[in-house]
Amino acid sequence: MCSRPLAEVAEAPAARCLLCNVACPVRITKGGPDRYLPDYLPHAGYAGLCGRGSVLVDLLDHPERLLGVSRRADGACRTIDLNTAMQEVSAALRADGAAAILVDGNLDLDTLAATGRLAAGLGASWSVYVPPNDAGLVHGLDAGGGTFIGPEDLAAADAILIIGNAYATHPVAAHWVFEARRARPRMPVLVIADASGVTVDFATGVFQPRLRSGENARAVAAVRTGQTEPLGPDARALATWKERLRGGKSIAIVVGAELDYADARALGTEVARLAAELGAKVCPLTTYGGAWGAVRLAASAGAVPVEKVLAGAPRTLLVMGVDLDSSLGESAAGPALGKAERLVYAGPMPNRTSRRASLVLPTAFVFESAGRALLGPGREVRFGPLLRPPAGVPTVREILAALGVAGEAPADVSAAATVAAGADGGQPEDGSPDGLLVAPAQDPFHFADGSLTRSASWPHVVRPRPVLAMAESDARAAGLVDKGRAVVEGPGGAVEVEVAVGGTQRPGQARVSAAFAEVRDMFGWTWAGRRPGSPIRARVRKA
Amino acid sequence: MPETTTVPAVEKRVVLDLDRCIECKSCMAACYYGHGQVTGLSFVDIGPALLPVVCRQCSDPACIEVCPAKAMKRDARGVVARGLFLCRGCGSCVRACPFGVLSLEMVGHHVAKCDLCEDRVAQGLTPRCAAVCPTGALRFATAAEIEGEGLVVLGGRIAGDHPIQRR
Repeated sequence: MCSRPLAEVAEAPAARCLLCNVACPVRITKGGPDRYLPDYLPHAGYAGLCGRGSVLVDLLDHPERLLGVSRRADGACRTIDLNTAMQEVSAALRADGAAAILVDGNLDLDTLAATGRLAAGLGASWSVYVPPNDAGLVHGLDAGGGTFIGPEDLAAADAILIIGNAYATHPVAAHWVFEARRARPRMPVLVIADASGVTVDFATGVFQPRLRSGENARAVAAVRTGQTEPLGPDARALATWKERLRGGKSIAIVVGAELDYADARALGTEVARLAAELGAKVCPLTTYGGAWGAVRLAASAGAVPVEKVLAGAPRTLLVMGVDLDSSLGESAAGPALGKAERLVYAGPMPNRTSRRASLVLPTAFVFESAGRALLGPGREVRFGPLLRPPAGVPTVREILAALGVAGEAPADVSAAATVAAGADGGQPEDGSPDGLLVAPAQDPFHFADGSLTRSASWPHVVRPRPVLAMAESDARAAGLVDKGRAVVEGPGGAVEVEVAVGGTQRPGQARVSAAFAEVRDMFGWTWAGRRPGSPIRARVRKA
Repeated sequence: MPETTTVPAVEKRVVLDLDRCIECKSCMAACYYGHGQVTGLSFVDIGPALLPVVCRQCSDPACIEVCPAKAMKRDARGVVARGLFLCRGCGSCVRACPFGVLSLEMVGHHVAKCDLCEDRVAQGLTPRCAAVCPTGALRFATAAEIEGEGLVVLGGRIAGDHPIQRR
């Protein structure tokens, strides 16, 4: 790693962790000649830092990080210099009438806008990738309007409805819920989430949705309308929740975009309706820190859905920071990527998409550059770099400048994204009645696909082996006992797990720890064409 | 041979409020990255919850008593510390610890031991695990401070209304 002057960085605006939209301020200190440490000095806006935030320092010096330009030809990789590579990319994009650009949405807003200007100048189609559940949730909420708040405003709430396992996926957001509880110990905290998640442990009322497409949205609708019949007899309590929430003078609805949420757009729409009827404020939680701004920008700047770009079979495809194979599934992204005559990948880390590319450019992480992000309506933040990128590694903005993007026009993201510019996360449940419906458990570390942080080893110190939480009746039928060993066989293979039998799971469905590569492989999302986080039908047997 | 040091145990300890822990493992990550990718913090699965356990800095530590290499000793601060170059990784202390907070580090074959973030506490800061805890479940405080808030200190931890269930 190159030497980077820390003194300069220390005077820069606060860096933000954009691995979720809580966007905690982060700093680092030098922990020795060759490493950096996360810095936990109290500073503005500081309320803790979750495991993902701590991992940022790990990424800075990651041994697999892309540091040079490589060109692949005839099956061999050759290192070339950055200027030559930029000239090649520029020439290819300009010569080709069928070029396309895909950019990761968790970048500085003005960089995204500059990407749009580049695409417009080239006459190329372009797309901003935002995780489908984030995009769906943002669309649903933004179209519905209402009053939005950040997690820090939850401290003032006196009645809270939480949809999703928010404490696991956004641990720092829990800080302000606990502040509210400290001030008002008897306040209602009602939770719609999987009962094996930690959020329900602190709830005054819980409803566990089935693992079924749109079930969370139906639960919210049942709270709003009082009609709980479609959800079954155990949902009757939802009919009283509206009144319980109305007992508060400052009602807040916390809604998270977790990967196994099917039909996130419908969920956003239902939450917006409920909030309007209750006069509640909505605190959206997204997996991408900049999801809200990216969705709005994509809607206003002519970006098209990723699937549409791929369907156009571009001959030259520039992919910046998105691992399409892992995000969309190999069967969805693979054909288009395979057909592209020139696939250029620019990003900080190697991934499945970079391994296909004919030209690979290194770029800085988003937290190595300054910029703006829209964390939610009215929550625009400016952030500075945590460190400067290594020598010779450009920022995405610098790559765009080298490709001839002129002007510094700031991105306008003031308008709500009312146009559906991306697919939502809705996926139908597997129709097969055989086997157990298994979903990944929300984990504070790997709640998303773990693409940035999956190499970290410390979560395995916490739990050395994956755990399958299942209902007692299912365990009995499979001949399994609590704390016994079982094998889960899914589309991508089999994995041995420890069984946790209890009343937290509905019969017919189960959750398995996601923080293990072998578990994620077992789900087979990538090669089965399913999005990460989707439930699957799996066979569970005694090991 | 038992340790005969006269240094009293440290007064301020990291204590866990069971009612506030959301099992986010932020403490574990902070400890791991702050100590050269070795963590001195353990998690215990008590069934209803997976809780972090931090060395409670016993006044009469079994780990010191059993260590054959005299790697464990109470330092001038009153903190039970492990001498990195003396530790043979035999695991005697791991088995002796009545609270299960010690564990063998898998790579270095040493025993990972909480040093109460010596570098930070010397600057008047709180240990990393307590500093990052989003909900304030881990706190760096004396027993008197905790009891002054009307909470019960139980086994080096703070208990709420119920030792396991959350408020």
